[in-house]
Amino acid sequence: MSAAPAVILIVEDDPEIRQLVSELMRREGFEVEAAEDAAAMDVILGRVRPDLVILDLMLPGEDGLSICRRLRAQHALPILMLTAKSDEIDRVVGLEMGADDYLVKPFGPRELVARVRAVLRRGSLPPRPPDRRFAFGPFVIDLDARQLAVANGDPVSLTSAEFDLLACFVQRPRRVLTRNQILDWTRGRSADPFDRTVDMLISRLRRKLDAASPGSNLIATVRNGGYLLTAHVKPLA
Amino acid sequence: MISRLTLATRTGLIVVLSLLAVLLGAFAIVQLADTSEADDTRPLPARIASLVSLLERSPADQHPLILRATSSRVFVATLEPGSHVGTTQDRPFLRLAARRLEEQLDALGGRPSSVTLTRAPDSATGIEYRIGLTTGDTLVVRIRSRLATRLFGLPLWLVMAAFGVLVSLIALAAMHHQTRPLARLASAVDRIDPAGPPVLLPEPASGAREIHALISAFNRLQARLSHLMRARMAMLGGISHDVRTFATRLRLRIDRIPQHAERERAAADIADMIRLLDDALLASRAGAGELSESLVEFDDVVRTEVEDRRAEGKAVELHIPEDSPGAVVLGDRLALRRIVANLVDNALKYGQAVHLSLAFGEQTVVLNVDDRGPGIPPEHREAVLEPFVRLETSRNRRTGGAGLGLAVVRSLVEAHGGTLSIEDAPAGGARVVVRLPLCRI
Repeated sequence: MSAAPAVILIVEDDPEIRQLVSELMRREGFEVEAAEDAAAMDVILGRVRPDLVILDLMLPGEDGLSICRRLRAQHALPILMLTAKSDEIDRVVGLEMGADDYLVKPFGPRELVARVRAVLRRGSLPPRPPDRRFAFGPFVIDLDARQLAVANGDPVSLTSAEFDLLACFVQRPRRVLTRNQILDWTRGRSADPFDRTVDMLISRLRRKLDAASPGSNLIATVRNGGYLLTAHVKPLA
Repeated sequence: MISRLTLATRTGLIVVLSLLAVLLGAFAIVQLADTSEADDTRPLPARIASLVSLLERSPADQHPLILRATSSRVFVATLEPGSHVGTTQDRPFLRLAARRLEEQLDALGGRPSSVTLTRAPDSATGIEYRIGLTTGDTLVVRIRSRLATRLFGLPLWLVMAAFGVLVSLIALAAMHHQTRPLARLASAVDRIDPAGPPVLLPEPASGAREIHALISAFNRLQARLSHLMRARMAMLGGISHDVRTFATRLRLRIDRIPQHAERERAAADIADMIRLLDDALLASRAGAGELSESLVEFDDVVRTEVEDRRAEGKAVELHIPEDSPGAVVLGDRLALRRIVANLVDNALKYGQAVHLSLAFGEQTVVLNVDDRGPGIPPEHREAVLEPFVRLETSRNRRTGGAGLGLAVVRSLVEAHGGTLSIEDAPAGGARVVVRLPLCRI
């Protein structure tokens, strides 16, 4: 390890937690910068380059999710995420964000220090491009090239809307998606309760998948009008 | 059976049945009251006998006039040259008519006669009287039955039935049109998502006032419900966030407690407090239908929880059948984990050692959690599933928990369409049985 102490940037809106964590980190021999929101963080980032960012997920203004995505895109900074909800862990460490590690509040000081040291030792994960090719059932989908093929290589032609819908399912496999969620994610608009576009799109998509691979039956309808992709989705190198 | 009919069908049936009753009644009244026609259709034998003697006494050139004078639409008298009297058909009412006629003819000195059912050239059915006259001719009287009267070449009853069917179809269509807003209302109620925006129903352009009132009342109710639910969720979310913030500060501060044992206990208290808060939040989200659903391998969830406890050195046994087909459940992964974790921790707390077993049915997966404790007497089993009821009132709070455990587990299990019950473990102690529906997609 180099002689200069590592610089830790803490982004946390609660002043007391910010102070307590700062003191803890200083006691452990780190150099500490602290910001209460995204704007303050950007000011600090213009001045110093931290070795690690401790980032709270719930922040006023720009939230932790968006900051995390931005930091990963701009700088190869290791990020330790603090979350208040244990059910958000999937999103934090999953495909969507790619934080290096996370801690659920409330956390113990020893735990925090251990995680910080571990991430620093490991260095930031190389900013891997998120996996964009997936295998599910008898199909292979490439989200960047926007192509769907049967495992033997035969391409399946889909309209743009059908592809968006399928991509939405592939990125959330085995999870029940409601009509509203699907509309939100594919169109970015809130749903009209009598809108049947999604249902029609789904039945067209089902027909095409079934024609390409008869009997595959990958999209199931569940009670209360939700849909889910039943296949396990595996990322391809 | 009748309970399955729609409102439209019920009302349609009422209309049709009453219409039918009115038609039948009117028909019967006409039948009974119109005596002039009844005379023709059930002619007095004396009338035929009089016709016989009149024809026999008048010259042959007068016969067409006499026949025309006596005939009507339903009483048709004709003369056939030659004697063509058949035999009376063997039907009770025909034999009775023949006997009556013979009595009258006997008064004239007797004539050969017969009474038969006929099918007239216009295909109406009727009764045919044949009497051999002394002139050598045969008098044929055909009575066309009123009941056999035809309309458009079809029997009257068929025409009436067709009319009835037509009216009922129109009534059904009209009722269907009237009640369609109700069907839409029902499907909208089914789609209510307490977490989402209210699904407001458009008021129909036409339709009964009651239905308008019902739809606008439903929309108001939904708006209120949605507001209430959002407020409650926002409050719970706020409480949860703030309590976590305080707990995080506290957790960082207790590090300054010098005694190691005290510090560990304080940390455990904070952890318990947060777990309780999480469980309560999860249960209330489950109650509001806000759980996120996905396909979860329940047997893996159970294995993971058991391994976590074993790693902490707890006495937890798990039995899963060798040929286990796997148990895929449609549900919230976190909630399913909390179900198993709460049951195992509860059993460890009161029964020291835990034995878990999984059984697979056609439609359900069954998780049995057995402990080695004193068991729960049957009369207390319902009570321990209520919030804040603990059996061992003598125990102090040191044993942990606020008594929410089983109540939370039950509401999570029920939100997944499952059931929770308490039984006796075969080896003594209590057994908690969780049944969850398997997902077959």
